[in-house]
Amino acid sequence: MKIENTKAQMRKGVLEYCILTVLNNGDAYTSEILTQLKGAKMIVVEGTIYPLLTRLKNVGLLNYRWEESTSGPPRKYYALTENGKLFLKGLESTWNDLVAAVNLLTQNKNTKS
Amino acid sequence: MNKTININLGGLFFHIDEVAFQKLKRYLDTIRRSLSDDPKGRDEIITDIELRISELLSEKIKDPRQVINEHDIDEVITIMGQPEDYVFEDEGYTEYTKTSSRSYQSYNSRKLFRDGDDKFVGGVASGVAHYFGIDAIWVRLLWLVLTFGAGFGFILYIILWILLPEAKTTAEKLQMEGEAVNINTIEKKIRDEFQDVSERAKRGFDEVSGKVKESFEDASNTVKESFKDSKKKVNKNQIKSGTQDFIDVIGKIIATLFTIVGKFVGILLIIVALSTLVGLTVGLFTAGTLDVFGFDWFWLEDANFMNTAGLPVWTVSLGVLLLVGIPFLMLFFLGMFILSSRTKSPGRVTWYVLLGLWLITIIALIVFGVKETANFAFDGYHTENQNINIVQVDTLRVKMIDNQDFSRADNLHNRNGYKRVMTDDNSDKLYSNAVRLDIRLSDTDSSFVKIRKEAEGINRIVAQENAKKIEYQYNLTDATLNFNGYFLTELGTRFRDQVLDVSLYVPEGKIIYIDDSTRSFLRHVENTNNTYDGDMPKHYYKMTLNGLDCLDCDTN
Repeated sequence: MKIENTKAQMRKGVLEYCILTVLNNGDAYTSEILTQLKGAKMIVVEGTIYPLLTRLKNVGLLNYRWEESTSGPPRKYYALTENGKLFLKGLESTWNDLVAAVNLLTQNKNTKS
Repeated sequence: MNKTININLGGLFFHIDEVAFQKLKRYLDTIRRSLSDDPKGRDEIITDIELRISELLSEKIKDPRQVINEHDIDEVITIMGQPEDYVFEDEGYTEYTKTSSRSYQSYNSRKLFRDGDDKFVGGVASGVAHYFGIDAIWVRLLWLVLTFGAGFGFILYIILWILLPEAKTTAEKLQMEGEAVNINTIEKKIRDEFQDVSERAKRGFDEVSGKVKESFEDASNTVKESFKDSKKKVNKNQIKSGTQDFIDVIGKIIATLFTIVGKFVGILLIIVALSTLVGLTVGLFTAGTLDVFGFDWFWLEDANFMNTAGLPVWTVSLGVLLLVGIPFLMLFFLGMFILSSRTKSPGRVTWYVLLGLWLITIIALIVFGVKETANFAFDGYHTENQNINIVQVDTLRVKMIDNQDFSRADNLHNRNGYKRVMTDDNSDKLYSNAVRLDIRLSDTDSSFVKIRKEAEGINRIVAQENAKKIEYQYNLTDATLNFNGYFLTELGTRFRDQVLDVSLYVPEGKIIYIDDSTRSFLRHVENTNNTYDGDMPKHYYKMTLNGLDCLDCDTN
């Protein structure tokens, strides 16, 4: 088992939560989402995001609209649906639990060693 | 200098040079393939990716006349990520372990394909070589040995060629080479192939230009030059890197020779196969296919003659056409393949259909043959004794007579079985001269002729019936006994291996002159001098208790 794979898996699990969070702060088009995620070092390459966005949209957590751009191609603006907002709330509590759990475990380990 | 291409990416217009275009196209294709698990979302995802690339490129391009080059594409790919980054594992960890174990399995199990990229004839040898993980040249050598040594290598090759699919898609090629089928390897393979193609093209160009130069230098000695040149190359390689290269070069020389011989064989195959096929087809519509091979199987001319199933003669002809024609059709295509690897095979379904037809024909002909043979399973006899009055006769002459209407040539000496004839009363008969004549001692004072008719049939009764139907005649005029040198049978009885034995029984002391016409009909006639049957005619004999005693033979 390669460490890169595990790292990627960890990141991917959290990625959905991050995307939904970004969109909860306001509608955004793909590049904006990417900029924020990259700024936070959540993703390294952009490729990962496209299948994920499509999937979230297909299960009804997101919807989108097209907007013309003056500088480039038309932009796809994503927004959270009502379902998406509920889903995000669920994820938030899970995330907090996880963080607490992981913190607890890692701190225990640290005190031991 | 590079050719540029205009593309529409995400609704925007770009100039892009050819190398960059190929790279971008390959990149998108690889992603598309890696997303193939989800065909529904795939197009949408690709559109999104194209839009993003378009956006990234339009940020780079300030002047719309600027051309996008390979470097720009590399940068875009760095931002976007390698194709494997696009795969999103739906099921998280479980799916991940599953795929990894699957790819581990496929790493171990190779599949047998034909390798169309590395082939002399059909790519069978290289496919087998991939399967066993050895170099293709060894398989080819083995094939040569099997073909010229044992003979069945050729047939084995044809069978494998038809049965094995060619590895066409990248996934198949990877399976063939035993590598795991995942995005990494597919990407790698595609890259390799692309390089391979461009290298090959370059090499081909170099070769051509080199040849042209060479022939300009010395147009009259091109052959000699190239021969020397290749010899020089061999030497250089030998010195340079030892045995391995030497073996490689030898292998290449053998391979080249094989290719040249192969082309000749290919041309030969095509000629032979085509002429046979044309001959068979023409034969089918005219004389019947059997005539093509020079068989004088006269009874096939008329279905009534032989074949119990009552099959018309054209079905048998068609059977022979298929039986012989299909293998020759295969040979024809083999020849075409040898000449040009670009020949399109008629497709596997067609081959299967042909193979099926061929097997059906074989089975049908076997069944036909067995049925026919069954009609010859039992022997049947019919014997008649007829007294003849020759008490007054001093010397009895024994003669065979022929019917000139039935036989073109001298049938008394040319004994070749059976044919169909027309008698005086306009009825078709089966004619045969399978008559055997014997002269024996009668155990009474009277003389008689014993006629034993023999035929075969599907059972004893039928065989007997067939025997009875033989029509035979002889007559006694003055002192001469004239036996017919032939017999007739109703055509409806068909050929059933009919044979007729005529035995003349005479009492002791009777003088007999054996006429020359009986020469080829006599069978094991008992005589005191142990003379061979063929030497007996044209002499006078006296019947004794020990057989005929020659009266005018040389005692020597």
